[in-house]
Amino acid sequence: MSIPYEYYIALSGLLMVLGLIGVTVRKNIIAVLISTELMLNAVNIAFVAYDMKLNDVAGQVFVFFILTIAAAEAAVGLGLVMAIYRLRKDVDVEKLSELKL
Amino acid sequence: MDLHAIAFWSFSALAVLSAFGVVFSKNIVYSVLSLISTLIAVSGLFFNLGAELIGALQILIYAVAIVVFYVLVISTVPQYKGQAVDPKYMLISIPVGFVIFMELAYVSIYGAWSSATGIFSPEVIGEVGNIKAVSSMLFTKYLFPFEVASLILLVAMVGAILLGRKEQVMEEGK
Repeated sequence: MSIPYEYYIALSGLLMVLGLIGVTVRKNIIAVLISTELMLNAVNIAFVAYDMKLNDVAGQVFVFFILTIAAAEAAVGLGLVMAIYRLRKDVDVEKLSELKL
Repeated sequence: MDLHAIAFWSFSALAVLSAFGVVFSKNIVYSVLSLISTLIAVSGLFFNLGAELIGALQILIYAVAIVVFYVLVISTVPQYKGQAVDPKYMLISIPVGFVIFMELAYVSIYGAWSSATGIFSPEVIGEVGNIKAVSSMLFTKYLFPFEVASLILLVAMVGAILLGRKEQVMEEGK
C-alpha cells in the first residue's frame, strides 16, 4: 500500500467540509438532504481508512450501519419533503419559518 | 507511481470535483447526477483500500437505492425556480469551512493514529478474506445492533409511508 492513510483522511475532511458548505448555502431543501449524504460518505471514508491503518474491521461494520441509517434518513427526509410540498407548495428553506418567533 | 496511487488520485479527484458539482449546481437534477458520480468514486476508493464488501454495498445501497429515492421525489416536486445558493451564507461558510478542515486535519494527523490496533492484520485478512472477517464481527459481536438496524429500517418505512401519503378525508358516515 503506497498511499499514506493521511491522504484518505484529508479527502474525507474535504468532502465533509464541502457537504457542510452545501447544507449551509443551498436553498432547496432536497439539495440540503443531498449534501447530508455527502457528509455521511466522508465519514465512511474515514472509518475505512482508520480501519485499514489500525488492523481492525469494526469500522467497516459501522459503515454498514451508516448505510442503513442513510437509507432510513433518505426515506423519512424525502417523505417530509413531500409532506411540506403538499402543505406549502414550496421547497425553499427560507420560507419554512413557522417555528420562528 | 504504481496502480494503487493512480487509482487513489483519479478516484479522489473525481470525488472532489463531483462534490463541488453536488454543492454548487443550480439544477437539482445535476446535483443528483454528481452525487452518483461521487458515490461511485468513493466506492472505488473502498475497493482500493481493500474493503470489498463495503465497496459493493456502497454501489448497491447508495448509488442504486437511495439515489432512486431522490430521483423519484425530484420528479414529483416541480422544478425549483429560485436562487440555488444564498450569497450571504456563502461569504461566511467558506472561511468557516476552511477552519473546520484545518481542525479535522490537525486532529486526524496528530490525534488518533496512536490508538490500539486490532487483531485483523493483513496476514489474517489475506488468509480469510475481507468479507469473512467483516461478517464474522457483524454476526457475533455486533449482532444486537444489526437486529436493531433492521427495526430502524422498518420504522423508517412506516414513517415514510405515513408522512408521504395523501390525506384523504372520506366522511361517508355523515
